[in-house]
Amino acid sequence: MTNHWNDIQHADAILIMGSNPAENHPISFKWVNEARTKRGAKLIVVDPRFTRSAATADIYARLRPGTDIAFLGAVINYAIEKNRIHEEYVKNYTDAAYIVNPAFQGATDLDGLFSGLTGAKYDKATWAYEMDENGIPKQDLTLQDPLCVYQLLKKHYSRYTIKKVSDITGCDAADLEAVCETYTATCKPELSGTIMYAMGTTQHTYGSQNVRAFAVLQLLLGNIGNAGGGINALRGESNVQGSTDHGALFHILTGYLKYPKANQPTLAVYNEQNTPKNKDPKSLNWWGNTPKYMASLMKAWWRDADLETAYSYLPKIDDGKNYSYLPIYSAMANGEIKGMFVWGMNPAVGAPSSKMIRKAIAQLDWMVCVDLWETETSAFWQKEAGVNPADIKTEVFLLPAASSMEKEGSISNSGRWCQWRYKAIDPVGHAEDDLWIINQIVNRTKALYAKEGGAFPDPIANLTWNYGKVGLDGKIHPPSPREVAKEINGYFIAEKEIEDKAKGEIKKFKPGDIVPSFAMLQDDGSTVCGCWVYAGSIDDKGENKMMKRDPADPTGLGMFPNWSWSWPVNRRIVYNRASVNVEGKPFSKEKPVLWWSPLKKAWLGDIPDGNGDPDAILPFIMVPHGRGMLFAAGMSDGPFPEHYEPLESVVKNTLSNSQVSPVITRWDEKAKEETCNPILAAGCIAALYGSEEAKEFPTICSTYRVSEHWQTGQMTRWIPWLNELVPNQFVEMSEEFAREHGITFGDKVKLTSARNVEGITAYAMITKRLKPFRIQGKDIHMVGITWHFGYKGLATGGNANDLTPFIGDPNTMIPEYKAFLVKVEKA
Amino acid sequence: MSAHGDMIKVTDGIERVVHWILAGSCLFCLITGIGFMYHSWSFIATFLGGPYAMKWMHIFSGLAFAVSFVYSFFMWKKDCQFESQDLQWVLKGGGYLWNVKDLPPVYKYNAGQKAFFWILVACAIVIIASGVVMLNPLYYPVVMARFAYMLHAGAVVLLGAFIVVHIYLGTAGNPGTVSAMLTGYVSRPWCETHCPRWLADRDSWKPGGEKDVA
Amino acid sequence: MAEYIKLIDVTKCTGCRGCQVACKQWNSLPAVDTMFTGSLQNPKDLNYNTWCLIRFDEVEKDGKLNWLMRHDACMHCETPACAKACPSPGALTKNENGSVVHNPAYCIGCRSCIVACPFDIPRNDKALEKMAKCSLCHDRIDDGKKPACVTACPTGCLTFGTKEEMLKAAEKRAEKVKGVIYPANPHYETHVMYILPGTVGVEDFSHMNPHPKMPATLYWWKNLFKPFTLIGIAGVAGAAFLHYIIKGPHRVHEKKEGGE
Repeated sequence: MTNHWNDIQHADAILIMGSNPAENHPISFKWVNEARTKRGAKLIVVDPRFTRSAATADIYARLRPGTDIAFLGAVINYAIEKNRIHEEYVKNYTDAAYIVNPAFQGATDLDGLFSGLTGAKYDKATWAYEMDENGIPKQDLTLQDPLCVYQLLKKHYSRYTIKKVSDITGCDAADLEAVCETYTATCKPELSGTIMYAMGTTQHTYGSQNVRAFAVLQLLLGNIGNAGGGINALRGESNVQGSTDHGALFHILTGYLKYPKANQPTLAVYNEQNTPKNKDPKSLNWWGNTPKYMASLMKAWWRDADLETAYSYLPKIDDGKNYSYLPIYSAMANGEIKGMFVWGMNPAVGAPSSKMIRKAIAQLDWMVCVDLWETETSAFWQKEAGVNPADIKTEVFLLPAASSMEKEGSISNSGRWCQWRYKAIDPVGHAEDDLWIINQIVNRTKALYAKEGGAFPDPIANLTWNYGKVGLDGKIHPPSPREVAKEINGYFIAEKEIEDKAKGEIKKFKPGDIVPSFAMLQDDGSTVCGCWVYAGSIDDKGENKMMKRDPADPTGLGMFPNWSWSWPVNRRIVYNRASVNVEGKPFSKEKPVLWWSPLKKAWLGDIPDGNGDPDAILPFIMVPHGRGMLFAAGMSDGPFPEHYEPLESVVKNTLSNSQVSPVITRWDEKAKEETCNPILAAGCIAALYGSEEAKEFPTICSTYRVSEHWQTGQMTRWIPWLNELVPNQFVEMSEEFAREHGITFGDKVKLTSARNVEGITAYAMITKRLKPFRIQGKDIHMVGITWHFGYKGLATGGNANDLTPFIGDPNTMIPEYKAFLVKVEKA
Repeated sequence: MSAHGDMIKVTDGIERVVHWILAGSCLFCLITGIGFMYHSWSFIATFLGGPYAMKWMHIFSGLAFAVSFVYSFFMWKKDCQFESQDLQWVLKGGGYLWNVKDLPPVYKYNAGQKAFFWILVACAIVIIASGVVMLNPLYYPVVMARFAYMLHAGAVVLLGAFIVVHIYLGTAGNPGTVSAMLTGYVSRPWCETHCPRWLADRDSWKPGGEKDVA
Repeated sequence: MAEYIKLIDVTKCTGCRGCQVACKQWNSLPAVDTMFTGSLQNPKDLNYNTWCLIRFDEVEKDGKLNWLMRHDACMHCETPACAKACPSPGALTKNENGSVVHNPAYCIGCRSCIVACPFDIPRNDKALEKMAKCSLCHDRIDDGKKPACVTACPTGCLTFGTKEEMLKAAEKRAEKVKGVIYPANPHYETHVMYILPGTVGVEDFSHMNPHPKMPATLYWWKNLFKPFTLIGIAGVAGAAFLHYIIKGPHRVHEKKEGGE
């Protein structure tokens, strides 16, 4: 989230697309309703299904699963054509005026592709701005130059007309126009519109581009940085924000530092390649600080090693390799991975083509599961999983873990608020908290390396692990999460004098002093910091700001600066410098996030994004040139979002001849190769448009969640109260579909896909809330199914992910769970 | 003359047993019913071991009432058929409450008694039928169940009042009557007053002797 | 003590069913073993262990689909028919704070409350011979808290406050969303009220009585027959006594056999 949960109350229009907050983020609707009651905000819900979020919406527009970019393209086109853009914002704060390399060619020129495609990868050399002699991008502030970003954008989206998009998405043209009209009304400077999105947006082979389309729209309307605006990712788990902040993804270290690659053998090379350069004096180019953050992290992990040695301890990603969810299981199937820790996760239900995943897990030598209950993953070898336990050689360990109420620590919510939580009760039985478990593993592993040596013991042996020490009695003491929090915040390990240029004073620090903010982190190894964005979460007296619970709200905007702590530097709305004009005056007088006081010569309100007087810096400080990117060269699949069909589709892409995204990793093609591992061959095949399989599996299927269960149901299906509400797996279908297939109320139906011909069963929920889509003159049906069910727990049912395709987005590898093909028949 | 002197047997054993089962269960139901109806009279329930126990007592007593009612209905209905003279009896004002001359001679039961019988029949049918509904009120349409509760109470208003009349007239109001339901015998003059035609009939069957009534 | 009202703003309900679970949690009610019912509504109906239920209805009106979700629970009537019908003192009590509370210790399982209720709310357990229904969490109210369902409601659909406050809020909100206040009849007062969307009618919601009132049969029973039972008995007994003392008993003249 660029903003935060209770900021939604300031919106004048709320676009819920690719999410279903009423069901999956129920509390957010408090703020949605607040905005509607107090501001008269319009609620727009765009979803293939008429969801519980849609039930109270002002406008509901349906779209075929996987056609979000087409839909948003129409809204963007409408905004440009009708000049419903926030012109001052677009000119000053976005790259609209930048001139692009004349060699760049877009989707209009290349039939849905962009220049530079070689094989299944783009060479992005032409996706660049033209630079002036000072190394600053050239601009045309009239936005008339045909090579400027704005004109390229206009040309790109000119194809996304209401009529065309209506034919692609199946959305009624009148509904589509109503959405365009209502949402683009927030282009007025004093109005703001927010976008609430979740996995319906991201879980596609162009999921990242779906989000990019939101960004383009919000930048055009001037809706980023202000109160009631922003692009707000509704996180699916309470602390998933924390997990990404702290590097629980393969491609990033903590604080979103890029993960080192094999071709970056030294820290110097790493810094050289990962520190963006910018010559515009107005651009802060915050990532220019990368060496400081990286050095502090290396010191946090290997205190006693010099920086280069510490860096050398980090494993590196092999060139061209990807270690995300899908490739990991593919490697596991091939026997390349021998062991796995599954920590509070349930891939046997949650991963795509999960039947194949279970087979892949069976190739492991050992697996450690850490969870509250026995999950489908830890029980993949049991009879309920449909296998013969005697055939499974994997040794499985199940460590009982403490629940969130049974341990202390911080939770970072979608709005980046890091809130400290205390332990309420002791864990049940032998269950222990995660930190205790990790501490045991680390200390015991260290002891083993010390005793037995090994191929390369140094990274583990020299690892700084100064919490949960081993006592004189030889016992490992349980660590305190507060010690970890201190390291995450950072502290000095050497004497240091730092000049504060803004105040013109010199600050002196001695070893052990808390790092007051990430601006004080050093690249010389004198500071340690576990996660730079969290620097400042502990104050100089050692008080943990995440524990703050002061309900004071000085701005009246619900930012509660002293309630918990928000990264970065307690800033509640990021890019908030974009909420004021170049003179420092808020665009909206009614809900100013911050404003410049010429008398005090200071910013008032929220913590400003970057210091300095108004207009001294550009607002988008994390972007090298400081301006919001309508043209994003960093994407793998194009600088502008372009509509492609899902991998499995019964519809031809009528916008171009590029049926699917050209740069996705095609496991389905690898599956056809003769050398392919049989596990992968069976689990990766796909029903492509026009193929025989597509005829056999003609119905679009989308997976989703309901309020009553959570994720794979690994926790909720053990709770009778929740099972009472949703006791069985069900599949939603329209009355028309049910009639066509002879399915009646209460019938059990079987769903099969190209990857699972045995299929799964579910009860039929026949509803008026689904209707066939009218696409290119044909009625296209869809069904929807929850992915909460499996074979363990008090309530069991068919696992929807046994059907889903093994394919992901080229940027993030997030699997395409939301649009695939199935066959539905009466069981 | 029999052991009873010049007493005339008007009821036999079964009749008296049935009467007292009917009367007893009816009174018990009435009292417990009042205990339910008036929260201020909850001492009745307290006395009987609480409202829950009283519920079942009421139900079983009602069952006894229903069974004895059905039996007595067939037992007495013949004697309680109205005849033309009953109208005259009514027009003359009865004869229970005060002495009236020239009453048409009554057979076994006078019109008042017959009327009580039929009122009892009507009320009992309503009470029993509604009682059956109230046993399992959720098996029936709600409107029907609601009417059952209302009619159950409504019938009691009528029946309760008539029972008091019946008791008074059978005891203090007409001395010598109560023995008909205790010993089964009443005096000859009682018969001459209250059921002269029946007496004449009886005498003709077996003058001076005894004859089973039924 | 103040009188309270729970206001259910149906226009804000998203059917998350937090209220349903919170109710069970606070009142320690066990889960019911359910099966898929064809819709999200589950259990299918209120029951002894489910005191509040979100009812789901799909209604197409004027070409627009309405997915109606309604929190269904006891309305806590000002003059509760259930308590009026109840034969067991203490089993159903109307409190000053507006709640109508059942006490299983006194319930005899007669089910007259279920029949009498104009909203068909109370439910019984056959084996236990007890009834149960929402108590408005009167124990929480007495403790200065809101009912569990209201506390759990994330969307602001359920609100709770003093009667005056809530009546005002209801009117304001109904005007704003062009909705309808239910029950509409000012003569039928309840301590739970609804704001229904104006786009649909009361009759579009399942299990909703468009014209709630005390059943006439109950009125006849309790307001007429009840007093007349004793009046009748006492009246007749009094008349008999008067007859006895004024007119005297009707003695038989035994002139033929001995005389007096």
